[in-house]
Amino acid sequence: MQSLMTQKNKDLLLRIGKQWAVIFFVAELIFFGLTAKGFFTVNTFQIVLFFGTAIMLMAVGELFVIITGGIDLSVGYVMGLSSIVSTKLIVAFAGSGLPELGAILLGILITLVLGLIPGMINGLLISRLNVPPFIATFSMLGISHGVSELLITEGAAKNLPHMANVIGNGHFLYFAQESGFSFFVRPEVARGVKVFELLPNVVVMTFILVAIFAFVLKRTVFGVHTYAIGGNEDSAVRSGINVKNHIMKIYMLSSFLAASAGVIYMLKYVTGKADAGASLLLDSIAAVVIGGASLSGGSGTVWKAILGAVIIAVLETGLRILGIPTFDKYIMVGVILIFAVLIDQVFPETTYKDKE
Amino acid sequence: MRKGLILVMVLLMAFSMSAQLFAGGQQEAADDEITMLFMPGVADPFYYVMEKGIVAKGEELGVNIIVAEFPKAWGPEVQVPILEATVAQGGIDMILIAPTAIDALISPLKKLYDQGIEIITVDTYLGDGDYSKDSDYSFPLSYIGSDNEKGGREMAAHLCEMIGGEGKVYINSTNPDVSSVMGRVKGFKEGIEAFPEVELVGVDYNMDVQQKATDQTLAALQKDPDIAGIFGTNLYSSQGAYQAVVNAGLVGAVKIATWDASVDIINALKKGQIDLVLAQKPFEIGSLAVEWGYKFFTEGTEIPAKVIPGFEFFDSENVNDPDMEQFIYK
Repeated sequence: MQSLMTQKNKDLLLRIGKQWAVIFFVAELIFFGLTAKGFFTVNTFQIVLFFGTAIMLMAVGELFVIITGGIDLSVGYVMGLSSIVSTKLIVAFAGSGLPELGAILLGILITLVLGLIPGMINGLLISRLNVPPFIATFSMLGISHGVSELLITEGAAKNLPHMANVIGNGHFLYFAQESGFSFFVRPEVARGVKVFELLPNVVVMTFILVAIFAFVLKRTVFGVHTYAIGGNEDSAVRSGINVKNHIMKIYMLSSFLAASAGVIYMLKYVTGKADAGASLLLDSIAAVVIGGASLSGGSGTVWKAILGAVIIAVLETGLRILGIPTFDKYIMVGVILIFAVLIDQVFPETTYKDKE
Repeated sequence: MRKGLILVMVLLMAFSMSAQLFAGGQQEAADDEITMLFMPGVADPFYYVMEKGIVAKGEELGVNIIVAEFPKAWGPEVQVPILEATVAQGGIDMILIAPTAIDALISPLKKLYDQGIEIITVDTYLGDGDYSKDSDYSFPLSYIGSDNEKGGREMAAHLCEMIGGEGKVYINSTNPDVSSVMGRVKGFKEGIEAFPEVELVGVDYNMDVQQKATDQTLAALQKDPDIAGIFGTNLYSSQGAYQAVVNAGLVGAVKIATWDASVDIINALKKGQIDLVLAQKPFEIGSLAVEWGYKFFTEGTEIPAKVIPGFEFFDSENVNDPDMEQFIYK
């Protein structure tokens, strides 16, 4: 009888423990909704998503790595490197006479392909040469930083064609009372006339990528293998999964997503910067852990990692509207991260059930 | 669980839509007071003094002043999110901003301009800073700040006289992406052309890292041990350069000139670490911005596309002069 009771209590606790991020998110919204003037507007939500794009992309990459029981510390500086490489490539292509849009698309494409290289090296070191992920990716952090600085010694990464700015700061959909809906191009209206700007282009791009990788993780063999490796590497090997190849692909995927975050940075701020993503490493790992993934591997979902990223982005924007210095944000994210890991230890069972 | 989440999101969106309509109505009701937002470039004494000038003039004229969070680092990725979140509060008529990049701030500011908010850039500007000719960055009403090129030329003249009109000079600057320091460098180069016996041996960019400034200056002194004058374009550059001069054992032989009269720099001047300081007038810049903005709203005055306050120079002789006290940033 007593054991039945405790079992029931345990189940309830488990359920709350599993959903604490959702509860925290709602509490956060209520708090800022009550205290921060102008928080509950479409505009503010778009600001949250617009500035959250980099964290979201890197969190998804980090999630795949963390599910396999690894960690990727290089994402922040790979992002910076990619912002510089894409800027330099596009400026060079535009300078050689390509039309603006062509130069931008080609530059982005090449950058994304190059973006696989840091991950490939990480993956090789980790899977074939048994270098611990922490050391391999930490070294890659330094290498990416150094290469970035080298690339800008000859001149800053800037002077992008105007089109980059238009894409990066434009919206997918516009609505004005007189001209109705229009796509991509802001309607010509008198100044001061309210134009609803919906779905920033970079947010749309981010969500397309996120949705693709959510599908990959949840619905494909690749995803199943990823969980299997994180759950128990030995049995994954025995069941015939090519673990070494898989680990390599995982790190390539992570650096690909970090490179896309760099491309999006380039579009938003029309510059490339070595330290563009330096402060985002903590955020992206925190987002994954807040989203309920266990650092010992085997669990986590893409949409929960995105929830984690949004929690951090809301915190940041909310604090800014309140005028609280963002140093506090780092402290809070740090505290939440520790809290999340502690919860993960208190409810270890969740790690095996939470695969939906 | 997912259904629940979606429901919460939909409810929040619906709530936010209605809240926005409601807020829109409120805004118009309370519009007889002018509200200006000051968006500084970075947390440093220069902008603290400018804030004082803005707040003082705002109180004098009855203008409501909102001061955004001071960005902890220089760069659009730090400044733009703060700007957007602060403007999201609504009710702002004019933004006084020191843009942290000449190109990255164009789109975010244009968006706010299109919503009907007026823009004045202070201390730094968009594009080439010329808002009088038509371009995609000509929408701000005015640039109010120092003419950095003119300051660079005056600085060159002062420093060249100090080293006796001949010898090698070296520039240590911060970041080639920042309009203000690039102007200083350009003006300085033009200024030394008037002194045929003075030769510029190099320009380095330390990206706001003092240690890097020291390393770069040491390398320059290694290459040209007879450098007579160094122009450090801000505090970090000149402090870094001074450290290098100390390490190379050349104290006294090399004259160091720098920009901005912060308390730290003036103390360094008093200690003999720095020999020449150009003081901008941030208090005046801030106060002029509010005054012109106020006239624009109340009297419909057209603001000149450029408003340029002058400079003052500090050296070891006048640094203790009580009349100069007011130009120190504190």
